[in-house]
Amino acid sequence: MNDTRLLSRVAGVRRALTRLVYARAMLVAGSVALSAWLVVDGVRLARGSAPFTGGGSVGVVAGSALLAVLLAAWLRARRRTRDINDVRTALWIEERDTDARPASFALVTLVEALVARRAFAADLSARAIAESPLLQASASAVLARTDVPGALRRSAKNQLLGPALFVAGALSVLVVGALVRSGPSGIAGSVSRAVTGDSAMAAPIPPLGAWQVRIDAPAYMRRAPQQFGDVQNVGAVSGSTVQLRGTGPIPEQVTARLVGDAADTLAAARRERVLVPTASGDGWQVRTIATDGPVTIQLSRGGRARLLVIEGRADSIPAVSLLQPARDSVFRAPEGSLALVASVRDDIGLATARFELIVSSGEGERFTARTVAMGARRFADDRAGTIRATMDIAALELVAGDIVHLRAIARDAHPASNREYGSSETRSFRIARVAEYDSVAVEPAPPPEVDKSLLSQRMLLMLTEKLEKQRPSLERKTLMSESIKIARDQARLRQAVGAIVFQRLSGDVSGEHAHSVGDGHDHGVEQQQGKLALSGSNAGGVLEEGDDSPVIAINQPLLEAYNAMWDAGRELEQGSPTSAIPHMRLALAAIERARSAERLYLRGRPPTVIIDIAKVRLAGKDSGTTNTRRERDALPPREARRAARLVVAAQLVTGDVSAARDTLAVLRVEALGDSPAFAAAVGAVLDALGRNGDATEAFVRARRVLGGVVRTDASAWSRGVPR
Amino acid sequence: MSDSMKDAVAVEPFVFATAQYESGDWDSAPMLPANVIDSVARYTSLPVRPQGVSVPLSSEAVFAYPLLFLTGHLPVRFTTREADVLRRYLVRGGLLFVDDHNHDVDGAFHKTVREEIRRVAGPLVPLPNTHELYRSFFVFENGPPTTSHEMNGWGDNLVHEQLDAVLRNGRISVLYSSKDYSSEWSFHPDNKRFLSVDNTKFAVNLVVYALTR
Repeated sequence: MNDTRLLSRVAGVRRALTRLVYARAMLVAGSVALSAWLVVDGVRLARGSAPFTGGGSVGVVAGSALLAVLLAAWLRARRRTRDINDVRTALWIEERDTDARPASFALVTLVEALVARRAFAADLSARAIAESPLLQASASAVLARTDVPGALRRSAKNQLLGPALFVAGALSVLVVGALVRSGPSGIAGSVSRAVTGDSAMAAPIPPLGAWQVRIDAPAYMRRAPQQFGDVQNVGAVSGSTVQLRGTGPIPEQVTARLVGDAADTLAAARRERVLVPTASGDGWQVRTIATDGPVTIQLSRGGRARLLVIEGRADSIPAVSLLQPARDSVFRAPEGSLALVASVRDDIGLATARFELIVSSGEGERFTARTVAMGARRFADDRAGTIRATMDIAALELVAGDIVHLRAIARDAHPASNREYGSSETRSFRIARVAEYDSVAVEPAPPPEVDKSLLSQRMLLMLTEKLEKQRPSLERKTLMSESIKIARDQARLRQAVGAIVFQRLSGDVSGEHAHSVGDGHDHGVEQQQGKLALSGSNAGGVLEEGDDSPVIAINQPLLEAYNAMWDAGRELEQGSPTSAIPHMRLALAAIERARSAERLYLRGRPPTVIIDIAKVRLAGKDSGTTNTRRERDALPPREARRAARLVVAAQLVTGDVSAARDTLAVLRVEALGDSPAFAAAVGAVLDALGRNGDATEAFVRARRVLGGVVRTDASAWSRGVPR
Repeated sequence: MSDSMKDAVAVEPFVFATAQYESGDWDSAPMLPANVIDSVARYTSLPVRPQGVSVPLSSEAVFAYPLLFLTGHLPVRFTTREADVLRRYLVRGGLLFVDDHNHDVDGAFHKTVREEIRRVAGPLVPLPNTHELYRSFFVFENGPPTTSHEMNGWGDNLVHEQLDAVLRNGRISVLYSSKDYSSEWSFHPDNKRFLSVDNTKFAVNLVVYALTR
């Protein structure tokens, strides 16, 4: 065997070994990928989720992952094959020469020398070895003795059989699984039933996924259809067609239920209606007509149910408000004109509006009535508008005593024949009869305030002295009258002086009020038959804290003036100016003394503090017993049932959020009509659940709203009782 | 103690008395009595009258009150009658607590009232901070509590470490303070809730000492 042929044969074995490494790497990689696929699919199947199918994003992800694993395995194999060269291949062959023990390494030595000579021709030692006849003969003998193809087959079997069998098994499981899922009967169905343990379920039906909701408003509304995604509740005007579309098998049961209090089972049953879903393309659809109230659509498939709440609302009649005339009136004559203005609005769209007048004529038991329309206007589905008209009163040919009732009415586009119209409040005006002209109703105006004259003690004294001079020429009656007038002014001035005294002593501007001994209400002065006197309690040498003796001393002249005025007033009331004049002079002198008195400006008077010993020692009137908590009143039956359902929903939140949301959605629409506050509170719970947040506080508030519990906020100074 | 004696004790509550003297401004701390009364009621079970009295120092009415409080800013000159009554009051076991409202050892009140005290009761000597006055109810380890006026540098800008006293038979007869408790304690008792530490506790010690020693 010449050198070239020998090297060629060794190279062939090397290529076979390289392919073997690549094949094993690919098979191991495939085994890993299939194992992962089976594990994930099995977990999903155990959880009841839909299994993987070949399409969609899942397929893309799975394919990408498989390619990544294969690429990694190929790179790893490539790195390993770099070590497989001719010399190592020769060694591998010589290891399979079972007849030469121990190995002669002749083939390895010769191949190594040949490779070295081919790479570097000047290598004399390599040349010598390569041209050694003995070595060549020994290498040829090794090749002749070794069954290289057989060794390659055995190696391939050892390296590839295990991974190949694993891959085959995994593929078999996948194929069988696909057959089981695709066929509801036969062997596959039996396998499915054995796997799922559900004899009734022919195949693992996927639960209801996302659906599409389409609302077609009634034709008279002329609205485009509304499309919604996977919503839980929709609003629809009564008469709208609500279409629900979904994918996958047709739901097994679809029930429409009018929402209401479900206490009466029979009544609840009467409110239920079974809807028939139909196939549509690769999915299903079901239709229903929205009513005036809320309706729930419950769909069941694969042992699971979903709920759609349709918040139906009625098309309300137009709202009309009569702006002019603003009030009823009576006209003297049937002439002139009257401006009429009304505003109209509707939730869907207005059709027509006009003013309507009812003229009543007659007297006694004979009356006639006629209806007049004016200011009619058509609307092009506007939601709001204004109608105006000018009423020519003369054109109505009214006579005295006629009554005109005026109102505005509006209709919307609802096609029902018995559709109600909206109307405003009614104004009326009347043509007065001649006999009514004699009636005059004038409300009296309040009298003007009387100017208050300024008086002084000196003026009063001068008036009294003047009266005293005139006294001989005056009749007793006139004297009494004039004297009493001066006495009245004197009393007024005395009260003013008294107010000053009391204000200084006690801060009380009207000190002339009842006092009694020991009433604890001491100004430092006391009234004795109308006059003021120093209080006897201050006569001693020991003074209480905050005593007022210095102030009393300062006010002494005013006290004298007050008492003198009292005496003067009493004399004047008796018609004796002669006797009043000395007292009035004393009063004037006292006032003058007060004016010229030395002013002492004391610092601010501190408050008189009397310690409440019992309060300080926390030993007041409180018995020490705390307020007992009163048991709450039992909820009415309807609220009690709602409370129970609220509790159920709260318990469901931790386990099945979608079920809790359905319960709350139904509860909310039930309460919309009779308990909007509770409905809003339940809506807040739904919002909290929608945000995946903590709904505890919202649940608590909803329960409080239901029970009518009113809690006040804790004040800043309280101990912060949690609400 | 017989029941009649118990009743006699029980019906005589402590009355906080402010000494009213002819010279000077004896009523310069109008809120202090109520504050001290509040503290006595708050911390002790002593029967106490809810309102204090002002007693002329020239009147023998002072003999009815075991503790007399005297303060002011202006020079103090006791009249002969006042000195006589005060001397007899102290001999009978009364305790006169004098506080310098100026918080100024160079002030007119300080100089004059100490002269008057020396003339009436004898010289004032420093009272040790270990005196039983500081343990008669609350414990003040460091002697008399410091006032905010001392800390803020008002008056003589000094922190007085101790009080002065005239002792008679081992008992305080006249207690003299330059710490200006007249300002420190002169606020409405309702405002105590704004204090983290009630600064009127030392007044309780003073009252308890006057009543029990």
